[in-house]
Amino acid sequence: MTSLLQFIPNILAMPAVPVSQVVQSETLGWASFILWLPLISLALCGLCAVCKVKTKAPAIITTICLGTSFVLTVLLWQGYEQPVIIHLFDWLQVHWAEGSFVANFALYIDSLTLLWMLFVTGLGTLISLYASEYMEHDVGKGYTRFFAGVSVFLFAMTCLVMGDNLLLLYLGWEGVGFASYWLIGYFYQKPSAVAAAKKAFIVNRIGDVGLALAIYLIWSTFGTVQYDGIATALASHQYETSFGDWTVHAIPYLLMIAAFGKSAQLPLYVWLPDAMEGPTPVSALIHAATMVTAGVYLIIRTYPLFMLDSHALETVAWVGGLTAFFAATIGMAQYDIKRIMAYSTISQLGYMFLGLGVLSSFGAAYHVFTHAFFKAVLFLTCGAIMHGFAGQLDLRRLSGLRKMKGWKIVSYTMLVGCLALAGFPLTSGFFSKDVILAEAFVTQGAGFKFLGWLAIFTAGLTAYYTFRVWFRVCCGPVQYEPGDELHGGDETSFHPHAPRFAINFVLVVIALGAILAALPYFMPNETDGLHGGWIAEMVNDSPASAGVPGAVVDSHAVHDSGHTGDSGDETHHGDILGMDPHKAMYFISAVVGFIGIAFALYFHLFRRKAADTLRSKLLSRRTTRWLPTAMEHKWYVDEIYIALIRSPLWILGKLFSMIDRYIIDGALVNGISSLPRAAAKWFSPLHNGAVQSYAVSMIGGAILIVLLMLFMPEIVEFLQSISQQGGEHTIASLGGAQ
Amino acid sequence: MTLWYLLLLPLIGAGSIFVLRAKAAKWIAIATSSLVFVLSIVMAIQFSQWGTSATGLVSHYSWLNTLGITLDLGADSVAMMLVLLTTLLTPLCVLGSFSAITSRKREYYAWLLILETAMLGVFTAQDLILFYVSFELTLVPMFFLIAIYGGKNRAHASIKFFIYTFTGSLFTLAGFVYVAWKYKVASNGGWSFAIHDLTTFAATLSPTEQGWILLALLAGFAVKIPVFPVHTWLPLAHTEAPTAGSVILAGVLLKLGTFGVYRFVLPMVPEALVVYAPAIAVLAIIGILYAALICWVQDDVKKLIAYSSVSHLGFCVLGLIALNPIALEGAVLYMINHGLSTGALFFLIGMMYERYHTRDMNAIGGLAKKMPVWSFFMVFFVLASVGLPGLNGFVSEFMCLIGTFISSSSNPTWPGVLGPEYAAIAAIGMVLAAMYLLIMVGKVVFGSLKEPEQHEPHQTLPTDLSLREIGVLIPLALLCVWIGVKPIVLTDAMQDSVEEVLSPFPRIVQQQEQAPAKLIDIKDEQHG
Repeated sequence: MTSLLQFIPNILAMPAVPVSQVVQSETLGWASFILWLPLISLALCGLCAVCKVKTKAPAIITTICLGTSFVLTVLLWQGYEQPVIIHLFDWLQVHWAEGSFVANFALYIDSLTLLWMLFVTGLGTLISLYASEYMEHDVGKGYTRFFAGVSVFLFAMTCLVMGDNLLLLYLGWEGVGFASYWLIGYFYQKPSAVAAAKKAFIVNRIGDVGLALAIYLIWSTFGTVQYDGIATALASHQYETSFGDWTVHAIPYLLMIAAFGKSAQLPLYVWLPDAMEGPTPVSALIHAATMVTAGVYLIIRTYPLFMLDSHALETVAWVGGLTAFFAATIGMAQYDIKRIMAYSTISQLGYMFLGLGVLSSFGAAYHVFTHAFFKAVLFLTCGAIMHGFAGQLDLRRLSGLRKMKGWKIVSYTMLVGCLALAGFPLTSGFFSKDVILAEAFVTQGAGFKFLGWLAIFTAGLTAYYTFRVWFRVCCGPVQYEPGDELHGGDETSFHPHAPRFAINFVLVVIALGAILAALPYFMPNETDGLHGGWIAEMVNDSPASAGVPGAVVDSHAVHDSGHTGDSGDETHHGDILGMDPHKAMYFISAVVGFIGIAFALYFHLFRRKAADTLRSKLLSRRTTRWLPTAMEHKWYVDEIYIALIRSPLWILGKLFSMIDRYIIDGALVNGISSLPRAAAKWFSPLHNGAVQSYAVSMIGGAILIVLLMLFMPEIVEFLQSISQQGGEHTIASLGGAQ
Repeated sequence: MTLWYLLLLPLIGAGSIFVLRAKAAKWIAIATSSLVFVLSIVMAIQFSQWGTSATGLVSHYSWLNTLGITLDLGADSVAMMLVLLTTLLTPLCVLGSFSAITSRKREYYAWLLILETAMLGVFTAQDLILFYVSFELTLVPMFFLIAIYGGKNRAHASIKFFIYTFTGSLFTLAGFVYVAWKYKVASNGGWSFAIHDLTTFAATLSPTEQGWILLALLAGFAVKIPVFPVHTWLPLAHTEAPTAGSVILAGVLLKLGTFGVYRFVLPMVPEALVVYAPAIAVLAIIGILYAALICWVQDDVKKLIAYSSVSHLGFCVLGLIALNPIALEGAVLYMINHGLSTGALFFLIGMMYERYHTRDMNAIGGLAKKMPVWSFFMVFFVLASVGLPGLNGFVSEFMCLIGTFISSSSNPTWPGVLGPEYAAIAAIGMVLAAMYLLIMVGKVVFGSLKEPEQHEPHQTLPTDLSLREIGVLIPLALLCVWIGVKPIVLTDAMQDSVEEVLSPFPRIVQQQEQAPAKLIDIKDEQHG
């Protein structure tokens, strides 16, 4: 804890990105096409919808547009030298004498942006290619709608990542939420899909409100919502806390709410498991690889703001660590392989937040990068299985896939994904997870050591549930039952149809990516003293360089704070069991991973019965019954939410509806209006319902008003004379200051 | 003179409807209102006062000289935008009513055109009496539109609408007359009802008097907006009104209240407003949350949208009284945006009602399967209403809330009397809005198809939207996108007007901060 506190002023003293380096670029206008291409694709899909196209044209259009986007991103990355701003057009601006609110449609390109854009557009292209085959049974029905949704998503995601201000980020933030709503609810006739889509949007909205409030506070504190402006203000301490000191402390927590909502962390994670109602390519692209990492991106992008409060990053670490553990326990007990992957996504996102919290933005970014590949491949293999077995996802009803004809690629690419997820030595997931785990022991903060051990234990659980899936589904005797999406033909004559070229090709490419994602860690970089290869370099040139090992943030900061990265003073270095964490972690996590896999091997390949026996034994004892029950029911979190929030609000709504009807409108309004009714009886001939007499009475009223005005002085004088006589003050005050 | 053409053309149209055959009524109405729209576009292009605070298109015509009543017209940039909103919505309403109105067509279209004149009169009047007359004149056509063409409970709804809003605005009239009389006394001369004279004069009155005037003005405007707790006429009027009536009601008539606050309350009684703003803001926030929760439990779609207006306009009121440019510009944008998106939602519900004769969410559902085009527009406008960035609703909601947020006395340039806590609580409304609107969409648009029993296809209308109906929605949808992407065009245009209105406030707020004035403190006034 002390370490973080000491670290803070030093980071503030040194801007992460020297501001003078950010330049307006005139020549990079073409980069905006990374943003416009998905929009063009959306427009063309819209055209397809209007023309009622019944071919695969939407898929081809989308894939080509996204592919071009990817190529442009690569070109931009190749030519990257320093952070640039590319101004597109003015969006929202309010100026006045001494201040302004400026949020333009402008792009901020630094290495961090490029890191995210590379895998967002790359995976976007591959997954839309995959979906062209996966969604083919919907050609002419929802096919166009699906690819339009993918295009919307990519557009919003590029806005989120490339925007040069928080408002454009907010546009992307809600935009991806909307795309997610659109695609989760793709099967709109299925009530569960509609409910899941709604839930995702509403829960995300809670996070969005956090982000909106954070933007208000950031603007009122720093006078700008543009990243370079915030950096300048932070560096020169030119910010005012006009509402008091609490504002700068509140900013990181509000940003956290936003990040936890979008990235499905405790307590806002409940929407993500349900989001699996969407088509599987959507789950792979949005709910595993890209959108859910937006929260991590947000925190990395605003990392210096998290130094404003001494406990902010500790909170991030705790939430991340606990979510990682909590989601893993649920994932262990699920039977739906897609849901297992969903909980594992939540769990892995927890690791990323743990990384951010323990001052390893590098570890978090690296884990985002590797996770994007291996989780995408896992989801896509699940999708291929679902596609081939008519919707079957229950791991008890699938077995021995790797021995079946045509399913070899699926089985082995899934193995690649599983190995990486389980953190098997020398896979990409192994390296990225170890950076985070080691850093938890290096950085000193409240309970970081405990979180480190918890994360190591969770790594064991991860290895167990990952291989539970693989051993169950891909190994063992060949057995299968079709799912409930069987159309045509009865169950006995069911033959699974193996994936064809598009799906297999994409699986192989992404699996290769998942393997090769280990390389960036070792690729040399050009910055002196920087550890962690290419990824570290990509993060270093951003506001989050404070969390990159070996980065030259401020040499004094490193010495004073005791946070050393790799290059610092060994005596201050945290340790694990008396060893250097960075080296020890390789062995510890490898061992833990092997233990997890060994358990899975025993329970789910050699003695499948044993798992059931264990479950029934636990269930039969009163003292242990709660454990499997609660785990299988996801710790009853959904039920708790309904009981504590949804139902009370709904009852309140009903109550207000009653109050509105019977008290405000009934008793008050109608009550008051019935008072003159008695008096009105005198004038009842006037209210005979005929239009003419209404007109007459209106004219009469008008004349009355005019007369009133003409004789106003006299009337007021008269009233004043009364009031003076009676000593009443009320009317006198109406008469004014006379 | 040009503004007179705008006001007179619809009246001429209405007159000729009565002369000519009933079959021609809708064509005359569409021709007249389109002509007015084109004319207003031409005027908007020629309008020289965009981006300034001055009043343009002024025309003088003295009427009752002895009483100082004139028929002066003119528009500043804010009024001009609302004029454009009115002239746009009217032809769309006419076009949208072709199939819904089958009897007493002449009166219907005539009343719509008279209503247009009245609304335009409110926005362009430069004379208080002309303003008030137009303000009240809007009630008459609306009363008949509800009473003749409304639903089952139309008699009750129309009378309640009329009496409720009329009673409210009588207080407003009293406030106006009081100011005019004080002006006459102070200037030792004749009457004047020029809005400009009276507003500048009223701002010099003592805080106590301003307090009373504020209450009087708000009595009328708050009912019109409507602010909690004087909102109960609105859900009833909306549910019973015919589609076009609901569209005009939500699109323009509610804006008469907010426009009244902008035009009169802010400049006339600044000192009182500074004291009362927190109380008004509390009512607005209660309205936002209270109405949102009520929306959630509604079964009637139209009632849901009606309550959502109460909730949404709470944001607009917050923006009006936050007393800084970003909030006030947001509030003006909110008036336009709410007119576009809620207007469109009422159109959509009307189109559904014409086909199914029900608005009960328990009886109808899953229309996406049967009416994909309708469903597309429904989802689109719901998203605009929810405030999805990139569409119009977001911009104004964001500006209103951020303006409320920074509206604290410690703000150096534009001190205000609200603050972060107001914005933070109001922001909960964003979540609730997403909740009730998406639940509504989830029931009506998505899910498995559910139609009322004994449903028969409409005799003339196709299952999905006809080209005419799509034509009604497309202009609104395009504007929603345009304002969402280029709000800067509108904010720049109104910036000077808004700053002019706000110019006295920083000083007054600071004074208030140093020496808090108690309003309507009778004893104080007596001794002083």
